[in-house]
Amino acid sequence: MIQQLLTRLRFLLRRPQPAELDEELQFHVDQAIQANLAAGLPPDEARRQAMIEFGGMERTREQCNEQRPGWWMGTAAQDVRYALRGFRRNPVFAITAVATLALGIGATTAIFSAVNALLLRPLPYKQADRLVGLTSVWPTRHENVLISPDFVAAQSAAKSFSQFGGYCLSNGDNLTGAGGAVQVSRANVTANLFPLLGVMPQLGRNFLSEEDRIGGPLVILLSDRLWRDRFHADPGIVGKAATLNGVAHTVVGVLPAHFSFPDPAAEPDYYAPADFDQDTTVSFKAGVWMVRVIARLRPGASMEQAQAEMQAFFDARAKGYPAVLAPWSDGRKIAAEPLQRAMTGDDRKPLFILLISVAAVLLISCANVANLQLARAISRRHETSLRGALGASRLRLIRQFLVESLALSSLAAALGLAIALAVTSLVRHAAVLEGPQASLLGRTAQMLRLPFGKLSAVIEVDGWVLAFTVGLALITTLLFGLAPAISGTRSDLRNALQASGSRMTSGRQQRLLRHTLLVTEVGMAVVLLASAGLLVRSFVNVLRYDSGFDPSHTLIGETHLQAGVATLHGPSAAWPAQRFRSFMDGVLLRLTALPGVEAAGATDALPLDGRTGGVVVFDGVPVPPLGERPFACVTHVTPDYFRAVGTQMFAGRGFGSADNASSLPVAIVNRTFAKKFFAGDALGKRFRTNAGPDHEMEPLNIVGVVDDVRHDSLLGEVQPEAFLPMSQVSALFRVKFVLRIAGNPALLANALRGAVAAVDPEQPVFDIQTMDQRIGDMVAQRRLTMLLIACFAMLAVVLSAVGVYGVFACSVTQRAHELGIRLALGASRGGLLRMVLMQAARLVLLGGVLGLGAAWSLNRLLADLLVGVAPHDALSLGLAWGLMTAVALLAGTLPAADAARIDLISVLHAD
Amino acid sequence: LSIVEGNMPQSTDLLQGTLDVLILQTLAPGPMHGWGVAQRIQQVSKEVLQIGQGSLYPALHRLEYKGWIQSGWGNSENNRRAKYYSLTAAGRKQLERELESWDRLSLAIGLVLGRIKEAQA
Repeated sequence: MIQQLLTRLRFLLRRPQPAELDEELQFHVDQAIQANLAAGLPPDEARRQAMIEFGGMERTREQCNEQRPGWWMGTAAQDVRYALRGFRRNPVFAITAVATLALGIGATTAIFSAVNALLLRPLPYKQADRLVGLTSVWPTRHENVLISPDFVAAQSAAKSFSQFGGYCLSNGDNLTGAGGAVQVSRANVTANLFPLLGVMPQLGRNFLSEEDRIGGPLVILLSDRLWRDRFHADPGIVGKAATLNGVAHTVVGVLPAHFSFPDPAAEPDYYAPADFDQDTTVSFKAGVWMVRVIARLRPGASMEQAQAEMQAFFDARAKGYPAVLAPWSDGRKIAAEPLQRAMTGDDRKPLFILLISVAAVLLISCANVANLQLARAISRRHETSLRGALGASRLRLIRQFLVESLALSSLAAALGLAIALAVTSLVRHAAVLEGPQASLLGRTAQMLRLPFGKLSAVIEVDGWVLAFTVGLALITTLLFGLAPAISGTRSDLRNALQASGSRMTSGRQQRLLRHTLLVTEVGMAVVLLASAGLLVRSFVNVLRYDSGFDPSHTLIGETHLQAGVATLHGPSAAWPAQRFRSFMDGVLLRLTALPGVEAAGATDALPLDGRTGGVVVFDGVPVPPLGERPFACVTHVTPDYFRAVGTQMFAGRGFGSADNASSLPVAIVNRTFAKKFFAGDALGKRFRTNAGPDHEMEPLNIVGVVDDVRHDSLLGEVQPEAFLPMSQVSALFRVKFVLRIAGNPALLANALRGAVAAVDPEQPVFDIQTMDQRIGDMVAQRRLTMLLIACFAMLAVVLSAVGVYGVFACSVTQRAHELGIRLALGASRGGLLRMVLMQAARLVLLGGVLGLGAAWSLNRLLADLLVGVAPHDALSLGLAWGLMTAVALLAGTLPAADAARIDLISVLHAD
Repeated sequence: LSIVEGNMPQSTDLLQGTLDVLILQTLAPGPMHGWGVAQRIQQVSKEVLQIGQGSLYPALHRLEYKGWIQSGWGNSENNRRAKYYSLTAAGRKQLERELESWDRLSLAIGLVLGRIKEAQA
């Protein structure tokens, strides 16, 4: 067997020896002549008889060659060489086809690599398919969290899970020690979380269950990143102390370098035990934490069982909730889903829509190249017929066509892969390219990376993506190659050979095929354009929403003023009031003095930060029962804050230096607050709130009214909001600075950091960015989806226009003779132009109508992504149709004009 | 390959692979060139089987590519350079297998056609 293989291999490698074969056959003929002579024939006759007997020498030679193993590969190579020669002879065709396909394949591959990395590839944890995330879903929103008493109760009760872990995220700790102060992010994890994921520390150990309790030891696990950056990868780190918020914590381990925390929004610098209260009654004495859940299905348990069990469990738990939590429990559905799905929930839909759009572009490319191939097949019919007449079988001819198509798509796939590689590496290395002086490349990279957050690091071209691209090359080959191959080789030999090459026109069937392809192209382009229009309008609507502040020329930065233990339950580690006040005064003084700064303010919650606040009650009105008291955002600000963020004062006065700890407690409210609680007339009125660090419910006097500012999101509803002077609270934990700057705000980042460090070198400032950047980040995914679909739509329009041009240019060339005769018989040149243009217009209109119909029914898929515009928005649909029709007709005008310019003499002379 | 019956040549395609076994069998005694193989088959079959070169040489090449026979150049009876074919070990084994299956097949066909009495089988 092996020997047989070796023999075959030897022959495969050895070149054929034509001389040997000739000699062998000649020997045979000579022997036959000898035999005939011996039989007594005269020499001439002996030779003649031998030759007759022998038959065709060439055929035998050919057949002997065909016996060679791998012979067909040789002819395939022949086909490829022939194809490449054809491309060289007709470079315009080859370049157009390859470029068209490469764009389609490249874009599809790039989008697929994101889909693959984010949605298809298993998460890098032990038996990741058994990991489950729990999500609370309401009709209008969903949260990936449970409240901690529920979580603790579920931990021991859940039967569908073998392990039930969870974590809370926080970004509020100052790490001090060698190398200055930095702000570090933390996750408080249950002791079973890392074992559940199958993660073992590279140094030390995981948390012990006895460390995960209230009042447990101060132990932490470091991420590999923090260990390398701050502890010089010290191999003896386990057992040493790290100073967090001024308190020593013992390092018990370092997580492995390749570990990635299973939360798309966070990659914590270090981990501490969760220390949840084991009391499972829901009350607010001990505080309630929002816990994100990761659980492992028990062997044999199904996702549906887990889902049903959790729904019943939480329905029962909701009965024990106090009235305040009614909005939290009413209509709540618990969704148990694979962790991957839970993690990428919001990212799935845009990605799939992008994949569909890009596939449509690829289909248009295929239709275009198929049309080019068809046109080429018609002008090559003479050649094809000749080859057929010389003995090439139909199958061989079809194979020749397909090999050509495969050569085209392989070239295109290689180029497309290069495009995808460039895009994905741009996304992965975006962090390197970003910076204050970001180049165009850096900005592009950032735009592509932001929507995926830290997940962008895993977007790459791997084996699956390669396989996908190869599959695309093969599928596209069949898509654009098969029809031309079959129809191009179906020829009536006699007619084709008789007709001169230039007079060849396409048959009825081929014309139908080409027109169908064209109509499909135009239709798909209209669908893409309409979708792009809807997304662009939505995006404009999002940005136009009146946010109540002016994000331009604004720089922001955050710092956390804390001293204390980095646990969930640590004693409120606020600074002493005196230290807080002198710190704030010192920093604001320095900030105001910076060159270019027009106003410097500070707050504990910027616009769009999400709502923080409490209930409000009013003197002279009976206090409603718990759970029915109205909510208001409560924000602490310094006097210049409103000027710094650009929020307008409507009535009354702002805060001043006279509002201090010993003066009358005052407040400024927004217009919604004034309208909702005081029917618009709030000045001089009083209210009380439980929000803020002091919880005294002392009466606050309203001295001013400001414009509404959104807190939930750019599209969220405006909440009633009260602003309190920062100078009248004891101390705050989170402080955000806002600078309004005359010039480029980004240039003052270092000055802001320096001003804070000059007052307190232990205090790191982080998340320094311009307000424009921050809003840009918030709409990054929406913007990317919109831009990509808009790009795909434009590509689709251009490709379709090229398609229209190609089809009619070719048809005019082929019909030159007919047009000439029409002209000779008295048709006017304008009439010829109209005739060709009308034909194009019929197809374009048909495509447009079909596209509108498809867009009408398909755009519902986009509904979730739309803001302030209906899926059946007439403007978007109409514009899409109008633009496509105009461009396509313009493309059709060029060949029509050629038809009108036809030179009668040369056409008639051509015969 | 054609079977000639009497004066009325009637061309019938032999079963695929039959030519192969004929060639292998012919080469079994010793090396032989293509012409020799054709002559020997014609002779032994009493002129019934005449093998045209159009079938012979592709078959010889096929068998060589399969590794059942090997070729080398030698001198012919009348002192001309000629390509000689001989069986390889694999070819010998293949011949045995083919003969066995031929026996089985011809017996079976004979039985069906009633040319062989079962008692004799």
